Amino acid sequence: MRLWWKATLWQWTTLLSVIAMAPGAWAQGPAPRPQAAKPVVAGKATPSPAASKPVIDYSERYAANCAACHGSEGRSELPLVPSLAGQHSFYVITQLFLFRDGRRNDHPASAAMSALAKSMSDSDLRGYSEAVARLPASALTAAPAEPAPPPLDAARFERGRQLAAAHRCGSCHGADLVGGGQVPRLGGQREDYLQIALKGFQSGTRLGYTPAMNEALSGLKAEDLDDLAHYLAGSLRESR
Amino acid sequence: MKFRFHVAALTAALLTASTVFAQTPPAEEPFWAKGRPKNPTADKMAPVPSFPIPTAADQLPIAKMKLPPGFKAEVFVSNILDARSMREGDKGTIFVSSLFAAGKLYAVVNNGGQREVKTLAEKLFLPSGIEYHKGNLYLATPKDIVRYDNIEAHLDKLPEPVMVYDKLPGDVPHGWKFIKVGPDNKLYVPVGAPCNICESDDRYTKIFRMNLDGSGVEVVASGVRNTVGFDFQPKTGYLWFTDNQRDWLSEDLPEDELNVVTQPGKQNFGYPYCHSGDFADPELGWGKNCSDYVKPAAKLGAHSAPLGMRFYSGKMFPAKYQGAIFIARHGPWNRTQKNAADVVVAFPDGKGGISRVEPFLTGLVENNQFIGRPADVMVMKDGSLLVSDDHNGAIYRITYAGK
Repeated sequence: MRLWWKATLWQWTTLLSVIAMAPGAWAQGPAPRPQAAKPVVAGKATPSPAASKPVIDYSERYAANCAACHGSEGRSELPLVPSLAGQHSFYVITQLFLFRDGRRNDHPASAAMSALAKSMSDSDLRGYSEAVARLPASALTAAPAEPAPPPLDAARFERGRQLAAAHRCGSCHGADLVGGGQVPRLGGQREDYLQIALKGFQSGTRLGYTPAMNEALSGLKAEDLDDLAHYLAGSLRESR
Repeated sequence: MKFRFHVAALTAALLTASTVFAQTPPAEEPFWAKGRPKNPTADKMAPVPSFPIPTAADQLPIAKMKLPPGFKAEVFVSNILDARSMREGDKGTIFVSSLFAAGKLYAVVNNGGQREVKTLAEKLFLPSGIEYHKGNLYLATPKDIVRYDNIEAHLDKLPEPVMVYDKLPGDVPHGWKFIKVGPDNKLYVPVGAPCNICESDDRYTKIFRMNLDGSGVEVVASGVRNTVGFDFQPKTGYLWFTDNQRDWLSEDLPEDELNVVTQPGKQNFGYPYCHSGDFADPELGWGKNCSDYVKPAAKLGAHSAPLGMRFYSGKMFPAKYQGAIFIARHGPWNRTQKNAADVVVAFPDGKGGISRVEPFLTGLVENNQFIGRPADVMVMKDGSLLVSDDHNGAIYRITYAGK
């Protein structure tokens, strides 16, 4: 279980170099695409000054600035990096806000995400969160790239299912685990990300607005959290 | 023999308890979900925190607001995330609290004709309760109450807070506060129910008052579920308070309350046994009689979430508003059809009751969604009315220009 760190060192190096190479790429300021790059609409008059305000395409921005780690369709292939497909804009903007405010310090990439978020304006946060919400959840069930994910362990899956029922995950995340509003989708998320998130909530290094998640996980053992993560990650495959 | 029986019973009880504990870990629903019916529509409802990004000044819903003739709304200040309770200092500083999203204490100051939002303190634990009194600012979280002395002289760097009272229960559910100093020079501090609907011990479901140094705590009102807005009637000195009633009983019941305390320490307002003065709770109310509890002075709509309220004693508004109560209603999270999210005015009838409740500021529900959510109202020294909106992170100012 500890091997993920070494095995993926190159991937983290990639992540860090992406961040290092593109300072300011996340800022709203000077980055609008040149107008000339867009197809010219025939017969269209010269834009008035009011209309010339550049419209930022945040789906393009996502592709340029987020997809390297989170996946172009929002399914992450990077260890510990969450998939974003099917995630809700309110949840995403709240997390970006917490990163920008320095209130997410629970993940190996927290500092990097905070640095990115600090370069974002309020409209960037809105734009990125809406772009993420447009990534269809179907990406989570698309044919997996190499290497294929490990098969589900039926016994652990069942234990995780019982834990999820006993701890009422569905109360907030929905019986189908798709979340909604400020509550994240869980089904189909990367198992290793879920593990680190659950551990963060349980140990208190990850905080939401309220201690709701911290309290929901109190009393669970480490192996319980792993089984829970196994079930949540696998529940989308299961229901397909 | 008797002794032995007790030991045996105790041992059996402990064994049973520990076995249960070992088999089923303590798994509770979040407090707000308790009592939720098994219903797919209700299943999708949850309290909504304020949006984490303030709305830009030119996007605020000023043009959509409806007010009585002669009144006008303007943006007082924007870009003040999660703005909640408001107080005015002697030198004109507007102090603003916040809750989950921001956790900050703000001051709105006039900087060479431009209003500026200063963050005075941050990383606070649900710091919604503030009061300005004789130069000092009191700040209440679910856990404790502190005081910043001579605050308007220290807006660039706050002095070390002085602990006033640190024995509040500290629960998150209905633990966040609205506080106010009464005409008796005492600090009024509520402690709400630690749940949606439950029986609880003596620390909860009450409005307390204490001396300004935290001593001499006493009960003012009991049977109060969650009040985050109250004020003292100028003529009588009576404490009037809004109270948010239980969730999940029905889309249309119970109605939230406006109450008045006429006999401090002696009155019970019914929670958790009697709701809106009308009917006993379907579970906890058996054997209870609503006639044993004080009825509300006015009912303010089911789940409408009345929060901040103030008596109007300013000089700007027409005479009919003198002595009336402005009430910010936050709007329901657990009603399918969104409504409220407005400011209403309750007119006291002079006999301890309310003659009528009128809409004042409306227009903030569009396509069954909130486009603004009033959280507190405050009468400024010039008689205009400030309305905070935590949904948009803004404060509006309502003025009256006549006819």
